[in-house]
Amino acid sequence: MKLTMRVLPVVLLLVSTTLGKELSLGSSIPLPDLKMLDVGGKELSLNDITGSNGLVVIFSCNTCPWVDAWEDRYVELANAYLPKGFGFVAVNSNAAYRSKGDSYDDMQSRAKKMGYTFYYTLDKQSELARAFGATRTPHVFVFDADRKLVYRGAIDDNAKRPDKVEARYLADALDACLAGKDVKTASTKALGCTIKFDD
Amino acid sequence: MLESFSPLIFRSGLVAAVLLTIGLSSCGPSPEPVSLKRATAADIIQQVSEYKGREAVLVNFWATWCAPCVQEFPMIVELGRRYRDEGLKIYFVSVDWLEQSDRVRTFLEQQGVEGLSFIKDEKDNPFIDGIARDWTGAVPFTIVYAKRSGAAMELWEGKAHRERFENAIEMALEN
Repeated sequence: MKLTMRVLPVVLLLVSTTLGKELSLGSSIPLPDLKMLDVGGKELSLNDITGSNGLVVIFSCNTCPWVDAWEDRYVELANAYLPKGFGFVAVNSNAAYRSKGDSYDDMQSRAKKMGYTFYYTLDKQSELARAFGATRTPHVFVFDADRKLVYRGAIDDNAKRPDKVEARYLADALDACLAGKDVKTASTKALGCTIKFDD
Repeated sequence: MLESFSPLIFRSGLVAAVLLTIGLSSCGPSPEPVSLKRATAADIIQQVSEYKGREAVLVNFWATWCAPCVQEFPMIVELGRRYRDEGLKIYFVSVDWLEQSDRVRTFLEQQGVEGLSFIKDEKDNPFIDGIARDWTGAVPFTIVYAKRSGAAMELWEGKAHRERFENAIEMALEN
């Protein structure tokens, strides 16, 4: 995990935090040329995956109930937006869990079982997650056609009940990109499993 | 005379010992049953604020399905007992789905947690920001509030070593 020690004065006390620092909105794609092994067997970089209208990166894994809950929407969203010129990739950065369900073989099995229609790459030493300031799974980042970060956060506002979703954050961000508009809700939060950095 | 009374004295002593044992065990503090309350971030902040000026408070956000949470859980319970008399209050806040309340309650009982605990009853985004703007949403998440000021002194995501908990607790007790 990317560690940031921040000291904030609060009522004359020192507050220390150990939290990830998410990539700032407007940033360019970090480590765009870093090659990662996709479950299809090819070495791919984010540059290779980015589409004409942008890129969706989801930090994910095989071992998190929040991923289990949202995963059906990975496939739906990829199927809806891949044809519209977005690149779509799930990234597994759980370096410390390679022997606990997040190995490359496990990733291949997962992609097959869940019918992934998008790339699922191995971030072997969590380099990409650190560069993004990703902290949890799932943790979504969207880059527009100019390859600038326009959305980060959750897929929507209801992991457990797709039928009760009230805010489709990711879909709304992608629609805004396609319409050439600013993303209305550009940063959201959701509960998720910590990324298992090998540190 | 003495010999004829000896069995009686022995029996009386035995009865007294048994009664004393029963009496002592029933006089000791009996475990307080787990009370699992649905809560928003505002409910939790309100609960914490009631200890301002009296006790330091550690709040741990966890889930039954979260392996790192479950791994560090017994240590947190033990630290709660160890620092209780020095003025530390610990609250556990489950972020399991609400329909898993029974599973959460059972886990808390198995871990020897007593009294009030919470389970999240609010959408993620307002809940996370309502607890701490710097929390990104990853669990486990721990936040420690100072005894005198009630201010948040330290917060971290992910499983932590005992030393980190102890340092945060001792700093919170001193401030």
